[in-house]
Amino acid sequence: MKYLLYLSFILFSFGSFTQVRGIVYGSDTLQKSKIFGARIVLLQNDIKLITDEEGKFEFNLPKNLPDTMVIKAMGYYPDTLFLGKEDRFSNFQIVLYSVQLIPEIVVSYKKGTKSISKLKSLLVEEISSDELKKAACCNLSESFETNASVDVSISDAVSGAKQIQMMGLAGVYTQIQMENIPYLRGLESAFGLNSIPGTWVNSIQITKGTGTVVNGYESMAGLINIEIKKPDEMEGLFVNGYGNIFGRGELNLHSGMHLGKSKKWSTGIFAHGSTLQAKLDQNNDGFKDIPTGYNAAFMNRWSYHGNRFETQFGINTYIDEKVGGQLNFSRSLPITTQSAYGVLNKTKHIDVFAKTGFLFKGKPFRSIGILYNVKYQETDAIFGLRNFKGIEKRAYINAIYDDIIGSTLHKTRMGISAVYADFSQNQDSISDDRLEIVPGVFGEYTYTGIRLVNVIGARLDYHNLYGAIFSPRLHTKYTLSEKTDLRFTAGRGWRVPNYMIDNLSLLATGRTWVAPAEIKPEISWNIGGSIVQEFKFLKQKASIVLDYYYTFFENQLVVDRDVSKSTIVFTNLADKSYSHSFQAELAFALSKTIDVRAAYKYLDVKAIYNSLLQAKVMVPTHRGFLNLGYHSRNKRWSVDATGSLFGKSRLPLTLLSNGLSTTQNESFVFPMISGQITHVYKKWEFYIGGENLGNYTQNNPILDAANPFSTTFDATRVWAPVMGTMIYGGFRYSIPHKELKKEVGNL
Amino acid sequence: MKNLVVLVFALFTLTAFGQKKVEEVIIQTTAECNECKERIENKLNYTKGVKFADLDVLSKKLTVKFKTKNITLQEIKTIVSELGYDADDTKANQEAYKSLPECCKVAGMEHTEGK
Repeated sequence: MKYLLYLSFILFSFGSFTQVRGIVYGSDTLQKSKIFGARIVLLQNDIKLITDEEGKFEFNLPKNLPDTMVIKAMGYYPDTLFLGKEDRFSNFQIVLYSVQLIPEIVVSYKKGTKSISKLKSLLVEEISSDELKKAACCNLSESFETNASVDVSISDAVSGAKQIQMMGLAGVYTQIQMENIPYLRGLESAFGLNSIPGTWVNSIQITKGTGTVVNGYESMAGLINIEIKKPDEMEGLFVNGYGNIFGRGELNLHSGMHLGKSKKWSTGIFAHGSTLQAKLDQNNDGFKDIPTGYNAAFMNRWSYHGNRFETQFGINTYIDEKVGGQLNFSRSLPITTQSAYGVLNKTKHIDVFAKTGFLFKGKPFRSIGILYNVKYQETDAIFGLRNFKGIEKRAYINAIYDDIIGSTLHKTRMGISAVYADFSQNQDSISDDRLEIVPGVFGEYTYTGIRLVNVIGARLDYHNLYGAIFSPRLHTKYTLSEKTDLRFTAGRGWRVPNYMIDNLSLLATGRTWVAPAEIKPEISWNIGGSIVQEFKFLKQKASIVLDYYYTFFENQLVVDRDVSKSTIVFTNLADKSYSHSFQAELAFALSKTIDVRAAYKYLDVKAIYNSLLQAKVMVPTHRGFLNLGYHSRNKRWSVDATGSLFGKSRLPLTLLSNGLSTTQNESFVFPMISGQITHVYKKWEFYIGGENLGNYTQNNPILDAANPFSTTFDATRVWAPVMGTMIYGGFRYSIPHKELKKEVGNL
Repeated sequence: MKNLVVLVFALFTLTAFGQKKVEEVIIQTTAECNECKERIENKLNYTKGVKFADLDVLSKKLTVKFKTKNITLQEIKTIVSELGYDADDTKANQEAYKSLPECCKVAGMEHTEGK
């Protein structure tokens, strides 16, 4: 009897081991939910079943293998999966896409305010609008304060410009896109982050390493895609007012609505204004700690969703005027009549964009998408007696054709793109005028297996000045288990440097600029991988992400401050220049109401400076990060606190006014602490917070501030905040969109 | 007489202790999607006596913590029903149900006309 029990137990377990199980989800752009009653059919073995209330299904692996599994549900495109002998242990996570979507839209689902999208083959970090509210960011340059992957730093103490860094590499090596259209390129790479107000943003996707070839050739360290609020989903009316103790005031307004009876058309209007008029000099060096001035932005966008055709188009404009430098500098008087050192910054742009998508009848996986963009940009900057003037006219087009080969196992994307850019740049007496015409062709093949997703792509671009450049890319995702994802990425990227605008902040010094003899494209390779592991901690969902990327340059336009103490040399380096970046991030919840996120980042960025392999200046080797969030169960109160610890970094050896060199050539370890409290009451939100709560500032960020026109004046040796504690407050008022896109079945 | 007063007082305090001041319940609803979650939560979170209301879209279960002095369980169920959703054995108000957006109606997330 005992043996019979054992035998039946063994047989039973054997039986359960050959069970195939899974969950079927349905997705539209807003959310993902389990499908009850989805039908699953095995074609060869004639097995039919339906999913239960939890979307789950299970069946015994049949004898006749391999087979094809078809999953169908009303309102969604069906999906087909390969079922083989190796699926004895398989646990499928199947997502069906709503018939409302065109297949090229990338799917991501919300799993908390910041999530790693498991469905994508690339490691993409998603920052949702809820995460953006954690630190009342005003514009994009302030949106990455609660993120460990992207660093934001001030490059000089006088212009107020903020730049991002990924993997220790300058922001210009990260391609920034607005809804898949390259944005903030060329002249706007210096101060452009200020031009997108935070309240306009719906979500941000951050990809480390080279992105897909479909988006272009310029993602070398990473890709940041910014999704702006869409007219058919955004609030009916949104108003935000902000003020801080430094005298900065901001107002943001946007409104979206559907038009007409058919509800196929919708439009959104966005407006933003910001001003700072108070002159502050907390460190008493005679210079404004933060420039005064104003900026304003406006956008109008339209959206049309038809049965076989979709389009989005819009226009946006931006203007920014800032006055910095010494307190007694007057903007209204000509520069030549003043003895004070002044910094003037004037940027404006006008940008028109459009996207059109075409679907094919009866073929849900085939589509054509075309992106268009036309932009005019002007940037004028004055740093004392040094100046820069730039005008850029740009046009961009990208046509993408999506299709499948046989089944959704094999997806292809191919297309052509073209960039037209007319630059006119003048820095003091040096000119860098350039006309760029870069047509390109690209192709990408995606294999989606049960555990393995492989994306192989390549693009060939022909630059009118530099010839043909080939960029292959590979991205692989392997699902080790239901809770573990492994990813690997390798690729080549390149860009043509604009050394003047890329380093505009370096005009805030008395050092002479030595221009490069010739300008060559910067080319780099990036190889890396990551592990995403989900687990349960204290009965709540937790995850850990470990990633490592190695970037090396075939050619780079290096900014060398080590050749001599009185020059900044720009030179083409075809020698060693690399970055090792390692990051570990842990996310867990202490309770239903408290979330914790902790991260550590290690950066080793070196290049040949003054003929020696040295660390790049002002890139800290170690960085620690901790974020705590409390959200009350009735959703009325939120408290967020973020702390970052920045390790030491190398500082360039600089000549002081007394003829001696700087003795402190390594920065100190310092903390950056910020916090915010938000209260929600029906349609209103009130928030109050502070930044740099530790009140840590760099002593004497401006060298030789008393003689700004001397050769020993240097405002570029900045590695810590210039301003102390800042307290801010604001409100938000919003009315939800009347006809949310949840009217499934009504179109 | 004194004993009677003591007895009445004791009984009174006993019943007061016996009655819980704050209760937390889980109610099964027919909420289908995120919009339903927002509607129910936004209504209840601002209702006097409710400490919090949290709906899990996947299980459709609504967790409510409330002060028994200010509101009763039946009153909460009525509020949910008047929004157009079932609350345990309290059926949805038919008028309210009809005016819900498509996705919020029963099986609204699957039963749609495919194109």
